[in-house]
Amino acid sequence: MSQITLPTGAVARARIKKANSAEKRADIGWLGWSIIALGSAAALFFILGPLIMLLTTAFRGPQDLLPFEDGAQWTLANLAAVYLDKSLYTNVLPNTLIFTFGSVTVTFVIAFILAWLVERTDLPMRNGVYTIILFPLLVPGIVLSITWIFLLAPNTGWINVIIRSLFRLGETGPLNIFSMGGMILAQGIGLVPFVFLLLSSALRSMNPSLEEASNTAGASPFTTIRKVTLPVLLPGLLAPLILATLITLEQFETPLVIGFPARINVFSTRIFFELNPDTDLPAYGRAAAVALPFLICGIALLMVYNHLIRRAESFVTVTGKGFRPMRFPLGRWRIPAIAFVAVYALFGAVLPGFVLIWASLFGYALPTFDTLSTISFAGYTDLFNNPKFWLAARNTFIVAGASAIIVTSIGVILAWTILRTQLAMRWVLDFISFLSLGIPAVIAGLASMLLYLSLPIGIYGTVLMLVLAYSYRMAVSTRLTRAALMQVHAELEEASSVAGAQWFTTIRRVVLPLLTPSLVASFILLFIIGFREFTIPTILQSPDNSVLSVMMWQAFQAGKTTQAAAVGTMIVLFVIPIIFGLRRLVLARDGRD
Amino acid sequence: MIRHRNAVALAFAAVLGLTGGEASAQTPWYDLPAVKALYEKAKEEKEVVIWAPVQNEVDWIQPALSKRFPGITVKGTGDLQAATKLIAEARANRHSVDVWQNSLGGMIEVQKRGLFAKVDWQPYGVTPGNILFDGEGIAVHNFVYSALYSKAFVKDADVPKSWDDLLDPKWRGKMVAQDFLFPRLMGFLAVKWGEERTEKWGRAMINDQKLLITNAPRESFLKTGERILSIGDSISQSYQYTESGVPTGYTIFNIVPAVQFMVSVMKNAPHPNAARLLAIWQSSDESMEAREKATYGLSVRPGSKSHVAAEVEKAKATVVLEDLATMDQRADFYKKFSSIIRGQ
Repeated sequence: MSQITLPTGAVARARIKKANSAEKRADIGWLGWSIIALGSAAALFFILGPLIMLLTTAFRGPQDLLPFEDGAQWTLANLAAVYLDKSLYTNVLPNTLIFTFGSVTVTFVIAFILAWLVERTDLPMRNGVYTIILFPLLVPGIVLSITWIFLLAPNTGWINVIIRSLFRLGETGPLNIFSMGGMILAQGIGLVPFVFLLLSSALRSMNPSLEEASNTAGASPFTTIRKVTLPVLLPGLLAPLILATLITLEQFETPLVIGFPARINVFSTRIFFELNPDTDLPAYGRAAAVALPFLICGIALLMVYNHLIRRAESFVTVTGKGFRPMRFPLGRWRIPAIAFVAVYALFGAVLPGFVLIWASLFGYALPTFDTLSTISFAGYTDLFNNPKFWLAARNTFIVAGASAIIVTSIGVILAWTILRTQLAMRWVLDFISFLSLGIPAVIAGLASMLLYLSLPIGIYGTVLMLVLAYSYRMAVSTRLTRAALMQVHAELEEASSVAGAQWFTTIRRVVLPLLTPSLVASFILLFIIGFREFTIPTILQSPDNSVLSVMMWQAFQAGKTTQAAAVGTMIVLFVIPIIFGLRRLVLARDGRD
Repeated sequence: MIRHRNAVALAFAAVLGLTGGEASAQTPWYDLPAVKALYEKAKEEKEVVIWAPVQNEVDWIQPALSKRFPGITVKGTGDLQAATKLIAEARANRHSVDVWQNSLGGMIEVQKRGLFAKVDWQPYGVTPGNILFDGEGIAVHNFVYSALYSKAFVKDADVPKSWDDLLDPKWRGKMVAQDFLFPRLMGFLAVKWGEERTEKWGRAMINDQKLLITNAPRESFLKTGERILSIGDSISQSYQYTESGVPTGYTIFNIVPAVQFMVSVMKNAPHPNAARLLAIWQSSDESMEAREKATYGLSVRPGSKSHVAAEVEKAKATVVLEDLATMDQRADFYKKFSSIIRGQ
């Protein structure tokens, strides 16, 4: 037997590394390890159910049996039905690529400019602008799409009518929302708040000293953005880019309402049609098979992300030295900047908000002075007199709030574990948490239904079941917190430890305060997503656990337009103060304007 | 095999329906001893849980039912995908639903799995012609396909008179339809017209007439005038649209396709007596009247007292009712026409 002899230096380095590692583990203590174990176990519990459901459902058939029924067997029929279909390659795939690339580009350009203006410049009324930018996230997707139809429908779209009258054109066009361009525009603007929220927290956490140095050296603001801000923010940019790509792939409201009339089919509409088949039961197997590329895409993007940020220390901007914020004076760019925000606010917030409120008071009546006399508050009085509304409102706050807290808490535990420990299996947590974004909500709902039906813990049909079912979306929280944590140098935690603080004290007094912008952003995002979510609560609904989004959808389906719009308006009114309040909280804590 | 047997049973029941209703006409159904005894047992159960495709179709039940049978709380939920949940609950031996209401086609998969209770409805005065699936369901209202028009943009004289009239070039670029409903409408038409003619008609609607297929609410298109005819919406929806501020009229063409909605009592219903009572009540004339007032849901089945049934009769139109005999044929049509419409 041959013996391998290592050089003395290598052995010594290995011993030191091992000793350091052991020391770090000892520092964490039993409480720390318990929290890490608990957080990891919870993450696996919440995500693995839906993930396993997705992977198994794709291989279960035949189609006239549900995947969990007796008689269902393992099969490749679902994959064959989806991937041997020629139209997938000639139609669906090219459309999906164009749509995704186009809308993510639109989203990113607008969101970055807005985030930079709000967080890095002296733009006036920044706190109000922050809330306005998030508005599209509060408005139901269907309302946003209908707003675009009002504006750009080929025959009667307001913008088309104006253009035709100005240039004396024919009876239709020239613009048409029912097109690939229309889809990209609508989806791109609709996703801006999501990316804005992620980008602004990254910009907010960033120490501006590098930008100041660039500025002092005489670089223009745009040169500073290109050569300093963007490279330093790489993790904070990549995370929302990847998340936005996956969300665009999965999102089906815009493709369905705006793309479908133009016969533009993408992956998400394919899933929708598999779940709403012409006959028989929903084709869960085929829907899962269509969704599998989301996972593959997610894995590929995660690998790219990990490769690009492999030198984590390059992105540290928050060190032991305190920093004071610096804002670029906009100077002569002030008016164009305000105009840019105003145009976005008009299309992203004002018009959809107007349509929503108008519909709640006037139904589908056209906005004219004559119509004003027909105002009716019946939509609201019906709601307020309906005990189901108050039950749904209470349930929605509980479900959205509790799940946002759970996911944000687990997200920070996972992010810290992935970045700050040497645990051999930490990549599994990274991987699993990220993949949660590639799981369609309908599959997650189905998994929860089967899980809680079979577990003898008595939560089936309750609000608690919804809280747990919502809590699988770890990707947003983990990515956001991880990007922020990468900007914080470990020396701060080491200093705290050297000063005698226990691990938990260090986390509580050092790490969490520095991560506050990201944690608040994560909470807001998850809270809003929780408020809007209707697929999961629809699948899991019972008379006792109804939520506002389902109530709105049901009113909409029943043709009760005013009541549906009234619920939508109430959702906005419920959420806006919370966003505004949390934003104020962060600002007050930072002592920033 | 099951479908075939049910088709025979349905046809047999339909024949009986011509005479059975007359036999029990003298005693009001609610005074029948069997109904009274059932009500007493139902009161002890206190509540009943009913599921339907949309919430609107269950919200009206409580106040209307209480007038006839007070003391029973109705818990209603709207869910388009209830079949999955019912099957999953049955598999886990946990049952939360008493009565399920859906279209006949939408209930087939659950019926095939034997999850509905088979009930002898005759002692309760249910018209035999309305009994479906050999006692596993009772017919209630219909979804009556029509071509709706915006009263603001279409004059009465211009209203199309037949499905073929829609191919007139004057309607080019002026029609909208829902992606789910339009292929179904074509499926019904194909039963009468045959596949070839229907496909030709459908392609002409899409390619020549530029029919806008959408998933968005059609009333918004009718309101603005972006589109002025909505093809394949139901007559009930014309009233809903009007109520929402979009004055809308409906047409009755020579062929009137109608989806059949029904109610079934679940085999392991937690409140079996209240469930039966609710199902019986839902098939009664007083319930149909209350439903029509609340949701505009109406019936065009033989013997129906709805105004639309009378209009159909007056127009000498042919009602093509959803039935088990043509179920498989229509399913094949849906699949074929859907792929044409979706451009897949």
